Amino acid sequence: MASPIPLRSRLRRYGTSYAMLLPFLALFAGFLIWPLANSLYLSFTTFDGINPAAFVGLDNFRQLAEDDRFRHALGNTGLYVVGSVVIGTLLSLGLALAFNGTGWAHRIMRTVFFLPSVTSSIALMLMWKWVLFPSDVGLANTIMHWFGGKDVAWLATPGLAIPILVMMSVWGGMGYGMVLYVAGLGAIPQEYYEAARIDGASTWAQFRHITLPLLRPVTTYVVVTGLIGAFQVFEAVYIVFQTGANNVGGVLDSGLMIVPYLYDQGFTHFKLGYASAIAWVLFLIIFVLSLVNLRAGRAMKEL
Amino acid sequence: MAVAPMDTIAPVQRPRHRTVSGGRRSRINGHLLRLPFYLLSLTMIAPFYWLLITVFKPPTELARTPPSFVPQSPTFANFYDPEWTAEGVNPGHLQGIFQRYQVDFGFWRFLFNSLVITTTITVVSLLICSLAAYVIAKHDIKGRRTIFLLIIASMMVPWQTTLIPNYVIMRNLGWLDSYAAYIIPALAKAFVLFFLVQFLQSIPNELIQAARVDGAGEWRIWWKIVLPLLRPALAAMSIFIVLAEWNNFLWPLIIVQSDEMANLPVALARLNSYFAGPDHQGAIMAGGLIASVPTIVFFLIFQKYFTRGIALSGLKG
Repeated sequence: MASPIPLRSRLRRYGTSYAMLLPFLALFAGFLIWPLANSLYLSFTTFDGINPAAFVGLDNFRQLAEDDRFRHALGNTGLYVVGSVVIGTLLSLGLALAFNGTGWAHRIMRTVFFLPSVTSSIALMLMWKWVLFPSDVGLANTIMHWFGGKDVAWLATPGLAIPILVMMSVWGGMGYGMVLYVAGLGAIPQEYYEAARIDGASTWAQFRHITLPLLRPVTTYVVVTGLIGAFQVFEAVYIVFQTGANNVGGVLDSGLMIVPYLYDQGFTHFKLGYASAIAWVLFLIIFVLSLVNLRAGRAMKEL
Repeated sequence: MAVAPMDTIAPVQRPRHRTVSGGRRSRINGHLLRLPFYLLSLTMIAPFYWLLITVFKPPTELARTPPSFVPQSPTFANFYDPEWTAEGVNPGHLQGIFQRYQVDFGFWRFLFNSLVITTTITVVSLLICSLAAYVIAKHDIKGRRTIFLLIIASMMVPWQTTLIPNYVIMRNLGWLDSYAAYIIPALAKAFVLFFLVQFLQSIPNELIQAARVDGAGEWRIWWKIVLPLLRPALAAMSIFIVLAEWNNFLWPLIIVQSDEMANLPVALARLNSYFAGPDHQGAIMAGGLIASVPTIVFFLIFQKYFTRGIALSGLKG
């Protein structure tokens, strides 16, 4: 379009536009785009943080494929992700259906379930570590004693690591999902239910054919963001399961997952090249999951 | 947000033609159906209650079995114990959380660090992101589509992928162990920009055009018109940023070396790795409680914005 505005003033206006973009773009390029490219390069090297990086091609990735600890971390992550997302989403939906009213009882219940979302996450991890203390000074074992059970070494029993991590994740996250679902429920027109009732539809039929389908966008969002968050879990493992200064994954690596393993390789063993390869595996997983998330697709259509 | 009183398990607004007894029955049914969730809420409250009573028990009581469920001799010693002596000649007394760190101002220092870092990142990143969002949403410049697509694509990158190169950058710049390392890499937030652009696109151009006609410069328009228009979006985003930065752990864990520069999560994690005994849990939980109070207060004040912000980000996206 031929603009009637003189060239110089147009330049001035565009100059201002670019100046306004500059702070964001400079930081974005410097601390995201460049590091991203750099981490891909590092994943093909033996960089250790001190010596110059030696290019080794795909060696790191080949080594990863045969690395038992990495496979173990992947398996643990898979179990954790499926467990926490499935249970967490179902409970979020259940809570939203149960407590979406405006009365004080419902509001208190919503606040109670939402509380972990606004509590310091490290404080929660320390709290769990203390609740799960291995002797009966801890809360969990005290409850075991009430029911005639014996002390359980909760955090030192390899088979319990993933279930405990799933439990902590569900406990801390279901209130957040609940808030999303409550908003989703509020957006469903009341008339649909009235019409269904007039037609004699049962409560279950209403739920099955009105509520559930109309909540689908919320469910997609809760599941996809839940998946992405679960793949990136770190401090639950690091704080609760750490057994010593250089241990990241807990007893026998029972709680080892992708990001804790990345930290272990990169920052306790200083194999920064190898850790970069792990970072890129994580990247590929999250990238595929994000593509599923319609958020980006819809945004691209809009511009 | 005013949530429509709608309930599919037990309708809150029952049809008028129902009899009173039918209504009562359905209310009882509703409570029965909710029973598992009421029980579930006990599992929410119990650990918090456990944390709270731990904070007010003296070390000797913490090591006792079975544990007490009401503090027998409530005390503030886990915050500060005046009877504690460095030589350890006073058995039964341990350092309170404010006596535990060998840095100036003790635990206050980490509270201060966390507050400074969180506030700075929130304010500056909202300014930077809103500037860029204004240009991308409302300026007809070359390349804005490409830039926006790049930014959207970058939202699919888990930030841990850039962890190692960013650590190397911080080291090469000599920024390790400084506020700069906390703040500067955290300012360009793709998600925030994306959200603000979406929000601005839903706002008609008339106001901005009118200001331009009146001869207002772009910076002035951004400050006087765009920022006020963006207020609900900025409120929603600031909640996300505050919570994320307040809880940020992995990045600080890597860039912080000294005790002085730790934020609350790193300081608490260090305490946790030094002291494992039950008698130390009082001070550790006291630290956790202090670290939680600011965000909980923030939540209670801005409760309305929290749910609205979460809903906005979840439903719009």
